[in-house]
Amino acid sequence: MLIRNIIYYFKEAFASILRNGWMSFASIAVVAVTLFIFGSFFLLNTNVQYVTDDIKEQVEIIAYVQNDLTAAETEQLRLQLIQLDKVKEVKYVSKEEALERLREQLGDLVAGYEEEGRNPLDDSFEVRTTIPEDIPEVAAVIETLPGIRRVDYGTDVVKKLFNFIAAVKWVGLAFMIGLAFTAMFLIANTIKLTVNARAKEIMIMKWVGATEWFIRWPFVIEGIILGSLGSLLPALGLTYLYNEAVTWAQINLYFLPLVNPDIILAPLVKLLLLIGATIGGLGSLFSMRRFLKV
Amino acid sequence: MIEIQHVNMVYPNGVGALKDINLTIEQGEFVFIVGTSGAGKSTLIRLIGREFLPAGGRIRVFGRDITKLRRREVSMFRRNIGVVFQDFRLLDNRTVFENVAFAMQVVGAKPREVRRRVPEALEMVGLTGKAKLKPLELSGGEQQRVCLARAIINQPSLIIADEPTGNLDPKTSLGIMDLLKNINIRGTTILMATHDREIVDRMKQRVIMLENGRIVRDEQRGVYSQDAH
Repeated sequence: MLIRNIIYYFKEAFASILRNGWMSFASIAVVAVTLFIFGSFFLLNTNVQYVTDDIKEQVEIIAYVQNDLTAAETEQLRLQLIQLDKVKEVKYVSKEEALERLREQLGDLVAGYEEEGRNPLDDSFEVRTTIPEDIPEVAAVIETLPGIRRVDYGTDVVKKLFNFIAAVKWVGLAFMIGLAFTAMFLIANTIKLTVNARAKEIMIMKWVGATEWFIRWPFVIEGIILGSLGSLLPALGLTYLYNEAVTWAQINLYFLPLVNPDIILAPLVKLLLLIGATIGGLGSLFSMRRFLKV
Repeated sequence: MIEIQHVNMVYPNGVGALKDINLTIEQGEFVFIVGTSGAGKSTLIRLIGREFLPAGGRIRVFGRDITKLRRREVSMFRRNIGVVFQDFRLLDNRTVFENVAFAMQVVGAKPREVRRRVPEALEMVGLTGKAKLKPLELSGGEQQRVCLARAIINQPSLIIADEPTGNLDPKTSLGIMDLLKNINIRGTTILMATHDREIVDRMKQRVIMLENGRIVRDEQRGVYSQDAH
């Protein structure tokens, strides 16, 4: 009895999808388009997050040490820095190391400064915080420490960057939530059309003694199938496009790190299928409530 | 089989309302409910099918008070009733066979049973050979026969019909009435609302006349109106 009914539900659902061909096509298209946009934003947002995390990782405070400090005093200062609140990592960079780095970047331009007493640079500490956003605050504290000559962290640029990153993240998130709701609304409406077109059928079913769930199941399954089919297209499309994009970016935008497709695509596909099926099933449940009252 | 006591039904505009209806119908009867449009025929029929609840009174069908059924019980109750509509209410995108089979599938019949009984029902209503056609390829009379086949397929003990000949010409109507009479002879109770004088007079069955929501006449082997005697 139960298995026979389940077979019936699926048969009905598929038959209905075929019978209402254009309506089904419209539903799938709506789901596909919305989930495609949703998925694009998901990828964009994840990558923005990834890139900004990468940039944030590179942000650090450079605290220049007064050049008359002894080795012991410098060590004392290092200990002081590492004990500061919110500080994750402190690295000492001697002026010789700093010069060496400069030489790697600028080459012969700095030749001749290696000789004793000709190095114009200062010893410094590179300080990283646990949370990159704490940098301005920590920098202000470090600046007051005795023995520190100057603190540098690209002040305004970093503050602006952090604000920008936060804005991008929230706008993206708001957009994605809005989109998910729009998709739900559109799908509920499309399925309402299917249900409307079949109001007569539902009424006949009620008159010949079908139970409410018996009437509901085929529609719910139909919704889930339509939603899943609709999510398949963007899942495949985005998988293809993202792989292409990453390949392209590796050649043309090598400085821009993108999230590895192997890591991001599986969760994306699962998410799209889940959202598609859920939206489809819930959509049909909502849209047929009215018709069951007889 | 059907016992109606002090049933009232009110509509804001007064049309189709019922006032203190008392009525008993026995198993195997063939009953016409007659009256002008708006007299309450449809309302009475639909109350017996538990499409809605009366404003007051009791309706017992098959020994149960149907005003007290739970939602799931309503479904089970309706499986014992066959319904015939004036506008046939067939699914246009399904074949004749599928339309009849639909009523069986809905109540969870075995596919083998469906394949066996649907042709039987179609034969009984004289539609053998039309099983694969769609309703719109049939005449009005044939469509009503499909509706009848669907109504009897689950072997209900009661058939309620609301103006089943309302959309048919007189000759076709008589064919439908012959079918209903045949079904009745096999023991099924038939309750039919109509304002077709000719049919009622010809059938010589019990006639209940409604006027402004009240029963004004209830006669065995009756005719449509008294002055026709």
